[in-house]
Amino acid sequence: MVYKIMNSRFRIFLESAIISMLILIIGFSFGLYVESNRNDKIIENYKNYEIQALDLKLQNYYYQIMDSSSCKQAIEQNFQFAEDIYLTGLELEKFEELNQITDELLREKKRYSLLKTELWLNTLLLKKKCDASFDTIAYLYAGDPTNSRIVAEQKIISNVLKDLKKEKGNLLVLLPVAGDLGLNAVELQKRVHNVTRLPVIIINEEIVLEGFNSIDEIKKYLRF
Amino acid sequence: MNFFTWVYIFLFFFGIFFLTIFMFLHYRNRYRLFSSPAFTKHYSVSFLVPAYNEQNSLVETIEAIVNIDYPTDKKEIIIINDGSKDNTKEIALELVKKYSNVKLLDKTNSGKANSLNEALKKATGELIAVVDADSYPQKDALLKMIGHFDDSSVGAVTSRVLVKNKPNWLGKFQVMDYSIIAWTRKLLDFVDSVYVTNGPLSMYRTALVKKLGGFDPKNLTEDIEITWHILSEGYKTRMSYDAIVYTTVPEDFKTWVKQRVRWNLGGLQTVQKYGWAMFQKGAFGHFVIPYVTASFIFAIIGFILFFRYIWIKGSYNFFSWYYSLQGYPFWRYFDYTVSFTLLLFLGICFFVLAIWYYNLGFRNSETGNKSVIKIVAYSFFYRSLYVIPLIIAIYKLARGDIRWYTK
Repeated sequence: MVYKIMNSRFRIFLESAIISMLILIIGFSFGLYVESNRNDKIIENYKNYEIQALDLKLQNYYYQIMDSSSCKQAIEQNFQFAEDIYLTGLELEKFEELNQITDELLREKKRYSLLKTELWLNTLLLKKKCDASFDTIAYLYAGDPTNSRIVAEQKIISNVLKDLKKEKGNLLVLLPVAGDLGLNAVELQKRVHNVTRLPVIIINEEIVLEGFNSIDEIKKYLRF
Repeated sequence: MNFFTWVYIFLFFFGIFFLTIFMFLHYRNRYRLFSSPAFTKHYSVSFLVPAYNEQNSLVETIEAIVNIDYPTDKKEIIIINDGSKDNTKEIALELVKKYSNVKLLDKTNSGKANSLNEALKKATGELIAVVDADSYPQKDALLKMIGHFDDSSVGAVTSRVLVKNKPNWLGKFQVMDYSIIAWTRKLLDFVDSVYVTNGPLSMYRTALVKKLGGFDPKNLTEDIEITWHILSEGYKTRMSYDAIVYTTVPEDFKTWVKQRVRWNLGGLQTVQKYGWAMFQKGAFGHFVIPYVTASFIFAIIGFILFFRYIWIKGSYNFFSWYYSLQGYPFWRYFDYTVSFTLLLFLGICFFVLAIWYYNLGFRNSETGNKSVIKIVAYSFFYRSLYVIPLIIAIYKLARGDIRWYTK
């Protein structure tokens, strides 16, 4: 049958099908290659952050047991780590949107959420021990929103917080954490702060603001 | 991978597949585009000109037919006045007086297919040539078409339709559209898949059309239906790309939609009627029916995806207007990043092939080279409008509301 087709003018259909399949295979191959590269980058970064997080945790133990003479250095490192992890978090969100073939990023998203929660707790300890002069904003958002209203709201809140972080620099630790991934550590934080709906922002572990709030409203609750 | 990604891949794959077929057809046959078999025999030809309220164009149409290069004694022209409410009948009578080979068949209004069937009973020619009363064949059109009938397997031959009037943007887009339609039809000719013998000028074997029972009065596009009927009987249909007929196209959007609704309705009716022949032997079952059916399905899926996209983006914007009013816009400049994705790759391949394909089409038509901007405007703007009459047609078909819409 194929031989018969290849010897007729209808071989064009077979040739076109082969070319279209080739284009599809090239697209899939490149897509897989690019996506796995992106995933690898996120996984690789995570490994480094894991070490950094452990390092910070151990430093905190040290300050709790010993003295607070090196608080400045610890705060600086905490800030640097928060900055790095925040930027990678943004990258992860972007990659998650771009990935069409693979679905491996959910696990990484969970890991990063735990890492950010750890950073949050670390920041709390640092604040208490070192009497640090900075604010913390934990932004708990819906990781996979299906409601358009929430998507719009989260996009705006994210923009507002980005602007705030840009303005405040090292006076603010911003911790965006997906709040609906079923992670116990995050659920615990939600219970502690009576969070019943997402998105919320928790300012200095005291003030819980639900939904959208303007920059000026948020600033009212900041100390620095 | 989510469901919609699969749908996009499916659409892009088949889009690329069909475009590749057309590109192959073009490059393998580019030197044969304008060639037609020389005619060896003077077949007698009956021109059937159905007319309903055509007082403004009838004279010019008949004179164009009278002036066609072909022996007068071999030409018979039958004007069918389909119960016109204007002066069509009076004008036709004048033409009968003026030209000896022009006849008038006056009847009550019953539609184009019935008019053609009535005229078919009176036609004496070996071949019939159907000419719309607002269309104007070129002098050499017949000579470029008639040679095909030397092949006894050929049942019908169609021509290249070009636009006569182009007063506004819609007319200009239709000039481009008709060029692409004609060029695509010619390419399909190389694989025996000409599935429309257009109303402005097409020729048929009289005996064959009579044997098939004439034109289907229930179908809104009797030209598509008769072509599929001929193909389903194992005959071939051909297209002479160098046989040109000019036609009058809608000048306003409302009339354009009405015309296209009729085309779509007729097309859907035809697919329904001949669906049984899907995947049966030959180009008709293996290509024509699946291709036309797929075109309808892909257009509908495309519309759903487009609507879904607009709905999602629209709802984001709707819910964010409150924040935007407070100075917090949803979209920001430089928020977008372009990165490699499978769909982006397939989309670019499809887009490049489509632009290339249209460009080849224009280069091989009377429009000549078109700028990329015009081609992009044609593909993204004008071709997107296709979906409006299609949706209306599906709605009407579902409600059983089928009637002649253009007049």
